[in-house]
Amino acid sequence: MDRAVSTSWWSRAWQANAPGYLFLLPWFIGFFGLTIGPIITSFYLSFTNFDLLTAPEWVGADNYVRMFTNDPKFLASMRVTLFFVIFSVPLKLAFALGVALLLNRGMRGLPLYRALFYLPSLLGASVAIAILWRQLFAGDGLVNDFLAIFGIQGPSWISNPRYSLWTLIVLSIWQFGSPMIIFLAGLRQIPQDMYEAASLDGASKSRMFWKITLPLLTPVVFFNAIIQTIEAFKSFTPAFIISGGTGNPINSTLFYTLYLYQEAFEFFRMGYASALAWFLLLLVALFTAFSFLTSKYWVHYDD
Amino acid sequence: MTLRIDRRQFLMGSTALAVAAGISPAFAAEALRMIFWGSQARADRTYGVTDLYAKAGGPAVQGEFLAWGDYWPKLATQTAGGNAPDIIQMDYRYIVEYAKRNAIAPLDEFVGGALPLADFDKDQLDGGKVDGKLYGISLGANSVALMINTVDFEKAGLELPGQNTTYADLPAMAEAFASKGVGKKLIADGSGSEPMFENWLRQRGKALYTADGKLAWEVQDAVDWFKMWADLRAAGVCVSAEDQALDTGPLETTMLTLGKASVIPSNSNQLVAFQAINQDKITISNFPRIATDAPGGHYRKPSMFFSVGGSSAQKEEAAKLINFFVSNPDAAKVLGVERGIPCSVSVREALAPTLDAQSQVALNFVANLGSLLGVLPPSPPAKAGEIDSSLFRVISQEVGFGARSPEDAGNALFTGANDILSRAS
Amino acid sequence: MTIDAPSLTVVTEDSAGRRLRRSVGSVAAHALLIGASILMLYPLLWLLSASFRPENEIFSGTSIWPSSWSLDAYFRGWSGLQISFSVFFINSFLISILSVIGNLIACSLAAFAFARVQFRGRKFWFAMMLMTLMLPGQVTLIPQYVLFRSMGWVDTILPLVAPKFLAVDGFFIFLMVQFFRGIPKELDEAAMMDGCSWWRIYWKIMLPLSMPVLATAAIFTFIWTWDDFFAPLIYLNNMQQYTVMLGLRTFTDSTGESDFGGLFAMSVLSIVPIFLFFLIFQRLLIEGIATTGMKR
Repeated sequence: MDRAVSTSWWSRAWQANAPGYLFLLPWFIGFFGLTIGPIITSFYLSFTNFDLLTAPEWVGADNYVRMFTNDPKFLASMRVTLFFVIFSVPLKLAFALGVALLLNRGMRGLPLYRALFYLPSLLGASVAIAILWRQLFAGDGLVNDFLAIFGIQGPSWISNPRYSLWTLIVLSIWQFGSPMIIFLAGLRQIPQDMYEAASLDGASKSRMFWKITLPLLTPVVFFNAIIQTIEAFKSFTPAFIISGGTGNPINSTLFYTLYLYQEAFEFFRMGYASALAWFLLLLVALFTAFSFLTSKYWVHYDD
Repeated sequence: MTLRIDRRQFLMGSTALAVAAGISPAFAAEALRMIFWGSQARADRTYGVTDLYAKAGGPAVQGEFLAWGDYWPKLATQTAGGNAPDIIQMDYRYIVEYAKRNAIAPLDEFVGGALPLADFDKDQLDGGKVDGKLYGISLGANSVALMINTVDFEKAGLELPGQNTTYADLPAMAEAFASKGVGKKLIADGSGSEPMFENWLRQRGKALYTADGKLAWEVQDAVDWFKMWADLRAAGVCVSAEDQALDTGPLETTMLTLGKASVIPSNSNQLVAFQAINQDKITISNFPRIATDAPGGHYRKPSMFFSVGGSSAQKEEAAKLINFFVSNPDAAKVLGVERGIPCSVSVREALAPTLDAQSQVALNFVANLGSLLGVLPPSPPAKAGEIDSSLFRVISQEVGFGARSPEDAGNALFTGANDILSRAS
Repeated sequence: MTIDAPSLTVVTEDSAGRRLRRSVGSVAAHALLIGASILMLYPLLWLLSASFRPENEIFSGTSIWPSSWSLDAYFRGWSGLQISFSVFFINSFLISILSVIGNLIACSLAAFAFARVQFRGRKFWFAMMLMTLMLPGQVTLIPQYVLFRSMGWVDTILPLVAPKFLAVDGFFIFLMVQFFRGIPKELDEAAMMDGCSWWRIYWKIMLPLSMPVLATAAIFTFIWTWDDFFAPLIYLNNMQQYTVMLGLRTFTDSTGESDFGGLFAMSVLSIVPIFLFFLIFQRLLIEGIATTGMKR
């Protein structure tokens, strides 16, 4: 090959790609230096019998075989997690979007409301939350005190296997602050002049919502939907603190990652836990890929 | 040090560097590292002893303490990362797992030397053995016990339960509770309490596990057990399944603290902790008997051990410090009976007069079990903890919520436990 | 404050009736918001009241009003641990502020590359970035610990802070990408025509126009770093370096004596800094409108 041509091919490739890679440089250092190593290691460990305390031994696909053929708790925890994802994510997003729309109007005292609504999300997951939730949802808790006004005698929501998962869904919705803030930031980015122009054309409020607000908000809706779904699949802390790490009662709040955590740190089967984690990754990756594929039909970018 | 700063500088820039260098680790190389679970109250006592040790010329100790739930993942991570501390507080439930994998070191070579253990109780020493080798030194003996709300019993006009109380007496007591309007159930649902099951089995002349790690009970035992509790539940003697499921382990979720029942199964060394979060006066007693002449179900259990990290470079120094903890009378006075009753005769004698009233109660309880006391059971198999937390509790809840009959539950527990035991080997 | 869109409408109906209808609507909206706030905040009020209660009344008392008020728990909590809580607050501040700086710089750089710059392999690396979000952290914990230990970082704050400067949290990259893509592309193209470098576009156009998302990222980073306990739990051994969240966890032990009063009192105090941070930065979130509300 002609040397001059080769140089110019290189320099062209350099010119075309260098800026992107330079902006990504910190990320690359982090990715190759800190992130990818542990990820690959965990993939390797999913084919071993690693017990945390002694060196791992290769067991082939045993962990994956056990998962699908001989582990009722794998199925039970997957069922709990799917139920949680299906109900908590849409409800939380709808709630967050509704409140964000309400708080985006020009009203007196809005910063105060925004702050108040965000407060529950500030609490994170402390021991205090576990005690609070019991105060609310136990048999003699506040929720039942309230229902008693209407003559309804409620069960002990938090400790009855039929309802306990719902108390965690309520907790997840209660902490809706983060998607709300992201929605608010998204609403902020919609240029006001578009509304002005539309109202000059005599467009109604609901028409403006459907024709301007929602389409321009779709990148943010898309983001929140993906992130909340991933987070819900990985959800660990609420169940961990409220059931004391047990998945109580009768494994009705045994989230997938809680089960994974038990396997890894309580029963010393990190190899098996790694296999569980990689199956979850596969599942979530499929969901995300599907979302990205369909996104071109409903997400509106400006590029 | 300089070399590490250079690397940091490369990554973080000089401002962050100054900060990071300012709070970099402060351990001297020869300090012993110690880790234990507990809260500040226990830490104060523990560090009081390490201070005494330093004053007596021993090496400095860098201690670290965490809550029970945080302790185990951190310890596992440190061990897996080759960074295990020199002295590790161990629990009966995990000692086999750690010992079998050499994550803690056998201490036999130090016995008589760094660890004289001259007047150490033999059964407590045996409790720290795995496969015949000594892996943990008990920091205190302990026994299962009922925590009892004394005020409720006064209201009901009943005497406190004692050595002659049997399971058969419970319904009559519950009736007194109901007629006098105490407003709670007599007792928590103990069907999912492994210690209570064990105690009941031992009174039947059985046990949880044999010395070679097999089940030491039969299906019928488990069926009878679940049946007994189902009857107590139906008669309103114990709390409902829904209430019992509020108990997720911590003391603040127990039926006693939540005010659902006046009696719960617990451990003698938790009396002080229970009293702190309960308004009414709490006391302890033995578990109910199956008959007044039944063999002893109780035993003095080593509640917490100190073990030495398997990769520790200072095993002998660590053993010396452990010895100070269990044999020095001044150390014992600082420790009290917070972790359990000291296992050395001379230490117990030095300690007894200095204890406060509640601690005396615990000490006397363990000392005066009398005919309730049986032999120490062999150390449980490695997977005993899994059987307890992932099987026993769940099945007991299934019976409580009506998803299983006692017969079904007994069978499920037996086969499930055997599955877990066989998978382990 | 904000521009009220309806007020700009050209209306035909008489303005008094309109004003009335508006104020009725606004009262209703306020009523709704106040009601919702109380519902949201009840548990927090309970926490506040518990922090003033006598210790043995926390679990047995039923009323939200304590039988007697006492600040004991605050004093006991603040200095009852072997290290004063002021140290934990300083540590948490340091870690959280450094994390905010790191995340804002590193993630915005990466997000700009993914959102705007064309280069080979962009989609592949973006997918890789998303993948790092999907694996449960429990299984990478130990390899990560081994890695940080081999670098001598265990028992320093470096494992908590340094990764933030290397954009390891894909959440923020993805978030910024979504917002950057919402900014009109004609702006870059015009700047390109004028001979601007990518760097100038990033620095002079993209960042100033992205105040809402940068404020959002700052708020989240600060709060999440503040609230995180697992990473500090694993990597910090010396109590002198503990964060507020680690300090809180030493109040209780499920198997023994606990200090719940201290826990609640310090929990209340621990919310104050993150709440203030939120209040300050939400201003930026709102001011964003002034710059982004541009003609396109």
